[in-house]
Amino acid sequence: MASLRTTSRLFAASRPMFRPAFARTYATVEPTPSENPKMKTFKVYRWNPDQPSEKPQMQSYDLDLNKTGPMMLDALIRIKNELDPTLTFRRSCREGICGSCAMNIDGVNTLACLCRIPTDTKSESRIYPLPHTYVVKDLVPDLTHFYKQYKSIKPYLQRDTPTEDGLEFRQSPEDRKKLDGLYECILCACCSTSCPSYWWNSEEYLGPAILLQSFRWLADSRDEKTAERKAALDNSMSVYRCHTILNCTRTCPKGLNPGRAIAEIKKMLAV
Amino acid sequence: MASFARSSLLRQTLAPRPFLQKNVGVSQVVAFHASAKKQILPPLPQSVEGTLNDPAPIPETHPSEGSYHWTFERAVCVGLVPLTIAPFAAGSLNPVMDAILCSLIVAHSHIGFQAAIVDYFPPKRVPKFRTTCNWLLRAFTLTTAVGLYEFETNDVGVTEALRRIWTA
Repeated sequence: MASLRTTSRLFAASRPMFRPAFARTYATVEPTPSENPKMKTFKVYRWNPDQPSEKPQMQSYDLDLNKTGPMMLDALIRIKNELDPTLTFRRSCREGICGSCAMNIDGVNTLACLCRIPTDTKSESRIYPLPHTYVVKDLVPDLTHFYKQYKSIKPYLQRDTPTEDGLEFRQSPEDRKKLDGLYECILCACCSTSCPSYWWNSEEYLGPAILLQSFRWLADSRDEKTAERKAALDNSMSVYRCHTILNCTRTCPKGLNPGRAIAEIKKMLAV
Repeated sequence: MASFARSSLLRQTLAPRPFLQKNVGVSQVVAFHASAKKQILPPLPQSVEGTLNDPAPIPETHPSEGSYHWTFERAVCVGLVPLTIAPFAAGSLNPVMDAILCSLIVAHSHIGFQAAIVDYFPPKRVPKFRTTCNWLLRAFTLTTAVGLYEFETNDVGVTEALRRIWTA
Protein backbone atom coordinates (compact mmCIF):
# COMPACT_ATOMS: atom_id res chain seq x y z
CA MET A 1 0.00 0.00 0.00
CA ALA A 2 2.75 2.38 0.99
CA SER A 3 4.58 1.96 -2.27
CA LEU A 4 1.35 2.40 -4.20
CA ARG A 5 0.61 5.63 -2.44
CA THR A 6 4.08 6.93 -3.20
CA THR A 7 3.63 6.16 -6.86
CA SER A 8 0.30 7.89 -6.97
CA ARG A 9 1.78 10.91 -5.28
CA LEU A 10 4.54 11.00 -7.82
CA PHE A 11 1.88 10.82 -10.48
CA ALA A 12 -0.05 13.66 -8.96
CA ALA A 13 3.04 15.76 -8.77
CA SER A 14 3.82 15.20 -12.39
CA ARG A 15 0.25 15.72 -13.58
CA PRO A 16 0.43 19.45 -14.45
CA MET A 17 3.05 18.66 -17.02
CA PHE A 18 0.53 16.65 -19.08
CA ARG A 19 -2.41 18.99 -18.63
CA PRO A 20 -3.49 20.44 -21.99
CA ALA A 21 -3.94 24.15 -22.38
CA PHE A 22 -7.73 23.83 -22.80
CA ALA A 23 -9.51 21.37 -20.53
CA ARG A 24 -13.07 20.11 -20.91
CA THR A 25 -14.56 19.21 -17.59
CA TYR A 26 -17.86 17.31 -17.61
CA ALA A 27 -20.61 16.50 -20.06
CA THR A 28 -22.77 19.58 -20.40
CA VAL A 29 -26.41 20.40 -20.85
CA GLU A 30 -26.84 22.16 -24.17
CA PRO A 31 -27.51 25.83 -23.39
CA THR A 32 -29.58 26.63 -26.48
CA PRO A 33 -33.30 27.07 -25.76
CA SER A 34 -35.68 24.65 -27.45
CA GLU A 35 -37.83 25.66 -30.43
CA ASN A 36 -41.18 26.13 -28.72
CA PRO A 37 -40.49 26.24 -25.01
CA LYS A 38 -43.43 25.16 -22.85
CA MET A 39 -42.63 27.15 -19.76
CA LYS A 40 -44.59 26.17 -16.67
CA THR A 41 -44.38 27.78 -13.25
CA PHE A 42 -43.95 25.59 -10.18
CA LYS A 43 -44.60 27.19 -6.82
CA VAL A 44 -42.87 25.29 -4.07
CA TYR A 45 -43.22 25.65 -0.31
CA ARG A 46 -39.92 26.71 1.22
CA TRP A 47 -38.93 26.78 4.85
CA ASN A 48 -35.42 26.60 6.17
CA PRO A 49 -34.83 25.41 9.77
CA ASP A 50 -31.53 27.31 9.79
CA GLN A 51 -33.53 30.56 9.65
CA PRO A 52 -36.37 29.66 12.04
CA SER A 53 -37.51 33.27 12.40
CA GLU A 54 -38.25 33.56 8.69
CA LYS A 55 -41.73 32.51 7.80
CA PRO A 56 -42.34 29.84 5.17
CA GLN A 57 -43.00 31.14 1.67
CA MET A 58 -43.79 29.95 -1.82
CA GLN A 59 -40.92 30.17 -4.28
CA SER A 60 -41.61 29.93 -8.00
CA TYR A 61 -39.50 28.14 -10.55
CA ASP A 62 -39.99 28.16 -14.32
CA LEU A 63 -39.22 25.00 -16.22
CA ASP A 64 -39.45 24.12 -19.90
CA LEU A 65 -41.71 21.07 -20.03
CA ASN A 66 -40.10 19.94 -23.30
CA LYS A 67 -36.89 19.28 -21.41
CA THR A 68 -38.53 17.87 -18.26
CA GLY A 69 -39.72 14.33 -17.65
CA PRO A 70 -43.45 13.68 -17.40
CA MET A 71 -43.77 13.40 -13.62
CA MET A 72 -43.71 15.95 -10.82
CA LEU A 73 -40.69 14.22 -9.33
CA ASP A 74 -38.80 14.82 -12.59
CA ALA A 75 -39.62 18.51 -12.31
CA LEU A 76 -38.48 18.63 -8.67
CA ILE A 77 -35.24 16.81 -9.43
CA ARG A 78 -34.61 19.17 -12.35
CA ILE A 79 -35.23 22.19 -10.13
CA LYS A 80 -32.77 20.80 -7.57
CA ASN A 81 -30.15 19.94 -10.19
CA GLU A 82 -30.31 23.01 -12.35
CA LEU A 83 -32.11 25.86 -10.59
CA ASP A 84 -31.80 25.64 -6.84
CA PRO A 85 -29.64 23.04 -5.09
CA THR A 86 -31.05 24.09 -1.70
CA LEU A 87 -34.53 22.69 -2.44
CA THR A 88 -35.06 19.73 -0.12
CA PHE A 89 -37.37 16.75 -0.64
CA ARG A 90 -37.35 13.01 -0.09
CA ARG A 91 -37.26 10.62 -3.03
CA SER A 92 -35.92 7.20 -3.65
CA CYS A 93 -37.46 4.70 -6.04
CA ARG A 94 -39.12 7.07 -8.57
CA GLU A 95 -41.75 4.37 -9.33
CA GLY A 96 -44.28 4.54 -6.49
CA ILE A 97 -43.06 1.69 -4.30
CA CYS A 98 -41.04 3.42 -1.57
CA GLY A 99 -43.45 6.16 -0.53
CA SER A 100 -40.70 8.71 0.11
CA CYS A 101 -41.91 11.47 -2.20
CA ALA A 102 -45.39 11.86 -0.66
CA MET A 103 -46.39 15.53 -0.82
CA ASN A 104 -49.35 17.78 -1.49
CA ILE A 105 -49.40 18.63 -5.19
CA ASP A 106 -52.10 20.99 -6.49
CA GLY A 107 -54.14 20.34 -3.37
CA VAL A 108 -54.00 16.55 -3.44
CA ASN A 109 -51.76 14.34 -1.33
CA THR A 110 -49.93 12.06 -3.71
CA LEU A 111 -46.58 10.61 -4.62
CA ALA A 112 -44.63 13.04 -6.79
CA CYS A 113 -43.30 10.13 -8.84
CA LEU A 114 -46.83 8.95 -9.73
CA CYS A 115 -48.24 12.44 -10.41
CA ARG A 116 -48.12 13.69 -13.99
CA ILE A 117 -47.30 17.35 -14.54
CA PRO A 118 -50.48 19.00 -15.86
CA THR A 119 -49.65 20.02 -19.43
CA ASP A 120 -51.64 23.24 -19.08
CA THR A 121 -48.82 25.78 -18.94
CA LYS A 122 -51.07 28.73 -18.11
CA SER A 123 -51.85 27.56 -14.60
CA GLU A 124 -49.07 27.11 -12.09
CA SER A 125 -48.53 23.98 -10.02
CA ARG A 126 -48.31 24.36 -6.28
CA ILE A 127 -46.33 21.91 -4.21
CA TYR A 128 -46.57 21.72 -0.42
CA PRO A 129 -45.39 19.20 2.17
CA LEU A 130 -47.99 16.78 3.56
CA PRO A 131 -50.61 18.88 5.34
CA HIS A 132 -50.74 19.18 9.13
CA THR A 133 -47.32 17.65 9.68
CA TYR A 134 -44.32 19.14 11.43
CA VAL A 135 -41.98 20.22 8.63
CA VAL A 136 -38.30 19.35 8.88
CA LYS A 137 -37.33 21.41 5.84
CA ASP A 138 -39.08 22.50 2.62
CA LEU A 139 -41.05 19.43 1.48
CA VAL A 140 -39.79 17.02 4.16
CA PRO A 141 -42.36 16.23 6.87
CA ASP A 142 -41.57 14.68 10.24
CA LEU A 143 -43.26 11.26 10.35
CA THR A 144 -41.91 10.20 13.76
CA HIS A 145 -45.31 9.93 15.41
CA PHE A 146 -46.75 8.12 12.38
CA TYR A 147 -44.07 5.43 12.66
CA LYS A 148 -44.48 5.23 16.44
CA GLN A 149 -48.19 4.59 15.91
CA TYR A 150 -47.36 1.95 13.32
CA LYS A 151 -45.14 0.25 15.88
CA SER A 152 -47.89 0.35 18.50
CA ILE A 153 -50.18 -1.94 16.45
CA LYS A 154 -47.51 -4.68 16.43
CA PRO A 155 -47.29 -5.08 12.66
CA TYR A 156 -45.93 -8.62 12.62
CA LEU A 157 -47.27 -12.17 12.81
CA GLN A 158 -48.07 -13.15 16.41
CA ARG A 159 -48.51 -16.87 16.86
CA ASP A 160 -47.81 -19.43 19.57
CA THR A 161 -48.83 -22.78 18.07
CA PRO A 162 -46.24 -24.31 15.76
CA THR A 163 -47.20 -25.85 12.44
CA GLU A 164 -47.72 -29.60 12.01
CA ASP A 165 -44.71 -30.07 9.79
CA GLY A 166 -42.66 -27.40 11.55
CA LEU A 167 -41.92 -25.69 8.25
CA GLU A 168 -44.15 -22.74 7.54
CA PHE A 169 -47.54 -21.26 8.41
CA ARG A 170 -49.73 -22.20 5.47
CA GLN A 171 -52.77 -20.35 4.29
CA SER A 172 -55.58 -21.30 1.89
CA PRO A 173 -55.87 -19.24 -1.32
CA GLU A 174 -59.16 -17.83 0.01
CA ASP A 175 -57.50 -16.64 3.22
CA ARG A 176 -54.65 -15.18 1.23
CA LYS A 177 -57.15 -13.32 -0.92
CA LYS A 178 -58.41 -11.45 2.17
CA LEU A 179 -55.05 -9.66 2.36
CA ASP A 180 -55.26 -8.29 -1.18
CA GLY A 181 -55.75 -4.54 -1.11
CA LEU A 182 -54.14 -4.43 2.36
CA TYR A 183 -50.58 -5.69 1.98
CA GLU A 184 -49.86 -3.29 -0.92
CA CYS A 185 -49.81 -0.26 1.39
CA ILE A 186 -46.39 1.44 1.35
CA LEU A 187 -47.05 3.70 4.37
CA CYS A 188 -46.50 6.93 2.47
CA ALA A 189 -48.88 8.72 4.91
CA CYS A 190 -50.84 10.40 2.11
CA CYS A 191 -54.16 9.10 3.49
CA SER A 192 -53.50 9.84 7.16
CA THR A 193 -52.41 13.41 6.47
CA SER A 194 -55.49 14.01 4.29
CA CYS A 195 -57.87 12.98 7.09
CA PRO A 196 -59.38 15.90 9.06
CA SER A 197 -59.92 13.63 12.05
CA TYR A 198 -56.22 12.80 11.98
CA TRP A 199 -55.40 16.51 11.70
CA TRP A 200 -57.26 17.26 14.94
CA ASN A 201 -56.47 14.11 16.91
CA SER A 202 -53.27 12.63 15.52
CA GLU A 203 -51.98 12.18 19.07
CA GLU A 204 -54.46 9.39 19.82
CA TYR A 205 -56.40 8.57 16.63
CA LEU A 206 -54.39 6.07 14.63
CA GLY A 207 -55.38 7.36 11.19
CA PRO A 208 -56.32 5.47 8.03
CA ALA A 209 -52.87 4.14 7.08
CA ILE A 210 -52.22 2.57 10.46
CA LEU A 211 -55.78 1.24 10.70
CA LEU A 212 -55.43 -0.36 7.26
CA GLN A 213 -52.33 -2.12 8.54
CA SER A 214 -54.16 -2.99 11.74
CA PHE A 215 -56.86 -4.68 9.68
CA ARG A 216 -54.23 -6.41 7.58
CA TRP A 217 -53.14 -8.26 10.75
CA LEU A 218 -56.68 -8.74 12.04
CA ALA A 219 -57.65 -10.33 8.71
CA ASP A 220 -54.62 -12.62 8.59
CA SER A 221 -55.73 -16.23 9.13
CA ARG A 222 -52.33 -17.17 10.57
CA ASP A 223 -52.36 -14.55 13.33
CA GLU A 224 -53.52 -15.80 16.74
CA LYS A 225 -53.66 -12.55 18.73
CA THR A 226 -56.83 -11.20 17.12
CA ALA A 227 -58.52 -10.73 20.52
CA GLU A 228 -55.59 -8.71 21.86
CA ARG A 229 -55.43 -6.63 18.71
CA LYS A 230 -59.14 -5.90 18.95
CA ALA A 231 -58.87 -4.99 22.65
CA ALA A 232 -56.11 -2.50 21.84
CA LEU A 233 -58.40 -0.73 19.38
CA ASP A 234 -61.56 -0.82 21.53
CA ASN A 235 -61.61 2.72 22.96
CA SER A 236 -63.01 6.07 21.96
CA MET A 237 -59.92 7.41 20.18
CA SER A 238 -58.02 4.71 18.28
CA VAL A 239 -60.66 3.77 15.68
CA TYR A 240 -63.86 5.66 16.38
CA ARG A 241 -62.56 9.11 15.50
CA CYS A 242 -63.09 7.95 11.90
CA HIS A 243 -66.22 9.68 10.67
CA THR A 244 -66.19 8.09 7.20
CA ILE A 245 -64.98 11.27 5.50
CA LEU A 246 -63.21 9.01 2.94
CA ASN A 247 -60.50 11.52 2.03
CA CYS A 248 -58.17 8.57 2.60
CA THR A 249 -59.70 6.46 -0.16
CA ARG A 250 -59.89 9.38 -2.55
CA THR A 251 -56.25 10.37 -2.11
CA CYS A 252 -54.48 6.98 -1.91
CA PRO A 253 -51.85 7.02 -4.69
CA LYS A 254 -51.82 3.22 -4.73
CA GLY A 255 -55.58 2.98 -5.25
CA LEU A 256 -56.24 1.21 -1.95
CA ASN A 257 -59.31 1.67 0.23
CA PRO A 258 -58.41 2.49 3.85
CA GLY A 259 -62.00 3.65 4.48
CA ARG A 260 -63.29 0.16 3.80
CA ALA A 261 -60.65 -1.39 6.05
CA ILE A 262 -61.74 0.88 8.93
CA ALA A 263 -65.37 -0.08 8.30
CA GLU A 264 -64.36 -3.75 8.48
CA ILE A 265 -62.57 -3.10 11.78
CA LYS A 266 -65.71 -1.44 13.16
CA LYS A 267 -67.77 -4.44 12.05
CA MET A 268 -65.31 -6.86 13.65
CA LEU A 269 -65.38 -4.93 16.92
CA ALA A 270 -69.17 -4.59 16.91
CA VAL A 271 -69.99 -8.29 16.61
CA MET B 1 -22.89 22.93 -9.96
CA ALA B 2 -20.33 20.75 -11.61
CA SER B 3 -20.72 22.27 -15.00
CA PHE B 4 -20.25 25.89 -15.87
CA ALA B 5 -22.26 25.46 -19.04
CA ARG B 6 -25.28 24.08 -17.20
CA SER B 7 -25.92 27.41 -15.64
CA SER B 8 -28.32 28.96 -18.13
CA LEU B 9 -31.12 28.02 -15.77
CA LEU B 10 -28.99 28.42 -12.66
CA ARG B 11 -28.17 31.97 -13.64
CA GLN B 12 -31.86 32.62 -13.96
CA THR B 13 -32.26 31.74 -10.29
CA LEU B 14 -29.20 33.48 -9.02
CA ALA B 15 -30.01 36.69 -10.84
CA PRO B 16 -32.09 39.15 -8.78
CA ARG B 17 -35.72 38.27 -9.37
CA PRO B 18 -38.82 40.15 -8.31
CA PHE B 19 -39.97 37.48 -5.81
CA LEU B 20 -36.66 37.65 -4.02
CA GLN B 21 -36.86 41.40 -3.52
CA LYS B 22 -37.61 42.32 0.01
CA ASN B 23 -40.88 44.22 -0.17
CA VAL B 24 -42.53 41.68 -2.48
CA GLY B 25 -41.33 38.83 -0.29
CA VAL B 26 -42.85 40.38 2.80
CA SER B 27 -46.24 40.84 1.18
CA GLN B 28 -46.11 37.24 0.03
CA VAL B 29 -45.37 36.11 3.55
CA VAL B 30 -48.26 38.17 4.86
CA ALA B 31 -50.58 36.67 2.25
CA PHE B 32 -49.38 33.23 3.14
CA HIS B 33 -50.34 33.72 6.76
CA ALA B 34 -53.43 35.83 6.31
CA SER B 35 -55.79 32.99 7.20
CA ALA B 36 -53.88 31.79 10.23
CA LYS B 37 -53.70 34.93 12.36
CA LYS B 38 -56.30 33.83 14.90
CA GLN B 39 -56.20 30.11 15.37
CA ILE B 40 -58.52 28.60 17.94
CA LEU B 41 -56.18 25.84 19.04
CA PRO B 42 -52.79 26.61 17.43
CA PRO B 43 -50.56 23.54 17.10
CA LEU B 44 -48.07 23.10 19.90
CA PRO B 45 -44.37 22.64 19.26
CA GLN B 46 -43.61 19.05 18.39
CA SER B 47 -43.00 16.73 21.32
CA VAL B 48 -42.08 13.07 21.14
CA GLU B 49 -43.10 10.78 24.01
CA GLY B 50 -40.24 8.49 25.00
CA THR B 51 -37.53 7.68 22.51
CA LEU B 52 -37.99 7.56 18.76
CA ASN B 53 -38.07 3.76 18.86
CA ASP B 54 -40.82 3.45 21.48
CA PRO B 55 -44.29 2.62 20.16
CA ALA B 56 -47.05 5.14 20.74
CA PRO B 57 -48.90 4.36 24.00
CA ILE B 58 -51.81 1.93 23.62
CA PRO B 59 -54.96 3.24 25.34
CA GLU B 60 -56.92 1.16 27.83
CA THR B 61 -59.73 -1.02 26.57
CA HIS B 62 -63.02 0.80 27.11
CA PRO B 63 -65.88 -0.88 25.19
CA SER B 64 -68.55 1.46 26.57
CA GLU B 65 -66.73 4.31 24.81
CA GLY B 66 -65.67 2.12 21.91
CA SER B 67 -67.44 -0.84 20.36
CA TYR B 68 -70.61 -0.85 22.53
CA HIS B 69 -70.96 2.88 22.06
CA TRP B 70 -70.62 2.55 18.28
CA THR B 71 -73.07 -0.36 18.06
CA PHE B 72 -75.61 1.52 20.17
CA GLU B 73 -75.18 4.64 18.06
CA ARG B 74 -75.75 2.70 14.83
CA ALA B 75 -78.77 0.89 16.29
CA VAL B 76 -80.33 4.24 17.24
CA CYS B 77 -79.64 5.61 13.73
CA VAL B 78 -81.17 2.60 12.02
CA GLY B 79 -84.13 2.55 14.41
CA LEU B 80 -84.91 6.20 13.75
CA VAL B 81 -85.59 5.61 10.05
CA PRO B 82 -88.74 3.44 10.38
CA LEU B 83 -89.86 5.30 13.49
CA THR B 84 -89.85 8.59 11.58
CA ILE B 85 -91.79 7.20 8.62
CA ALA B 86 -94.17 4.77 10.36
CA PRO B 87 -96.57 7.16 12.14
CA PHE B 88 -97.25 9.09 8.93
CA ALA B 89 -97.35 6.03 6.69
CA ALA B 90 -99.66 4.11 9.02
CA GLY B 91 -101.74 7.20 9.75
CA SER B 92 -102.21 6.13 13.35
CA LEU B 93 -101.03 7.94 16.44
CA ASN B 94 -99.63 5.77 19.18
CA PRO B 95 -98.28 7.41 22.35
CA VAL B 96 -95.85 4.52 22.90
CA MET B 97 -94.39 4.95 19.40
CA ASP B 98 -94.18 8.69 20.02
CA ALA B 99 -92.31 8.11 23.28
CA ILE B 100 -89.81 5.76 21.62
CA LEU B 101 -89.27 8.21 18.77
CA CYS B 102 -88.66 11.10 21.17
CA SER B 103 -86.22 9.17 23.35
CA LEU B 104 -84.28 7.99 20.30
CA ILE B 105 -84.06 11.54 18.94
CA VAL B 106 -82.72 12.75 22.28
CA ALA B 107 -80.17 9.92 22.43
CA HIS B 108 -79.14 10.47 18.82
CA SER B 109 -78.52 14.17 19.19
CA HIS B 110 -76.72 13.67 22.50
CA ILE B 111 -74.32 11.17 20.91
CA GLY B 112 -73.80 13.47 17.92
CA PHE B 113 -72.88 16.51 19.98
CA GLN B 114 -70.74 14.37 22.27
CA ALA B 115 -68.75 13.22 19.23
CA ALA B 116 -68.14 16.86 18.30
CA ILE B 117 -66.85 17.61 21.82
CA VAL B 118 -64.54 14.55 21.77
CA ASP B 119 -63.25 15.58 18.33
CA TYR B 120 -62.55 19.23 18.92
CA PHE B 121 -61.73 19.62 22.63
CA PRO B 122 -58.85 17.31 23.48
CA PRO B 123 -58.59 16.75 27.25
CA LYS B 124 -54.84 17.38 27.14
CA ARG B 125 -55.26 20.87 25.69
CA VAL B 126 -58.51 22.16 27.22
CA PRO B 127 -59.49 19.84 30.09
CA LYS B 128 -61.72 22.34 31.94
CA PHE B 129 -63.48 23.57 28.83
CA ARG B 130 -64.16 20.00 27.77
CA THR B 131 -65.71 19.15 31.14
CA THR B 132 -67.82 22.31 30.95
CA CYS B 133 -69.00 21.40 27.47
CA ASN B 134 -69.88 17.88 28.56
CA TRP B 135 -71.98 19.15 31.49
CA LEU B 136 -73.61 21.79 29.29
CA LEU B 137 -74.53 19.07 26.82
CA ARG B 138 -76.01 16.92 29.59
CA ALA B 139 -78.03 19.87 30.82
CA PHE B 140 -79.35 20.60 27.32
CA THR B 141 -80.18 16.94 26.73
CA LEU B 142 -82.06 16.76 30.03
CA THR B 143 -83.96 19.97 29.26
CA THR B 144 -84.89 18.64 25.83
CA ALA B 145 -86.05 15.34 27.30
CA VAL B 146 -88.18 17.08 29.94
CA GLY B 147 -89.59 19.47 27.33
CA LEU B 148 -90.51 16.63 24.99
CA TYR B 149 -92.09 14.72 27.92
CA GLU B 150 -94.21 17.77 28.79
CA PHE B 151 -95.17 18.23 25.16
CA GLU B 152 -96.18 14.58 24.87
CA THR B 153 -98.19 14.42 28.10
CA ASN B 154 -99.81 17.88 28.26
CA ASP B 155 -100.07 18.71 24.54
CA VAL B 156 -100.66 16.90 21.25
CA GLY B 157 -97.22 15.29 20.88
CA VAL B 158 -94.48 15.52 18.28
CA THR B 159 -96.07 13.46 15.49
CA GLU B 160 -99.46 15.17 15.72
CA ALA B 161 -97.81 18.59 15.86
CA LEU B 162 -95.79 17.84 12.71
CA ARG B 163 -98.89 16.58 10.94
CA ARG B 164 -100.77 19.77 11.81
CA ILE B 165 -97.90 21.97 10.61
CA TRP B 166 -97.67 19.90 7.42
CA THR B 167 -101.39 20.17 6.63
CA ALA B 168 -101.77 23.76 7.86
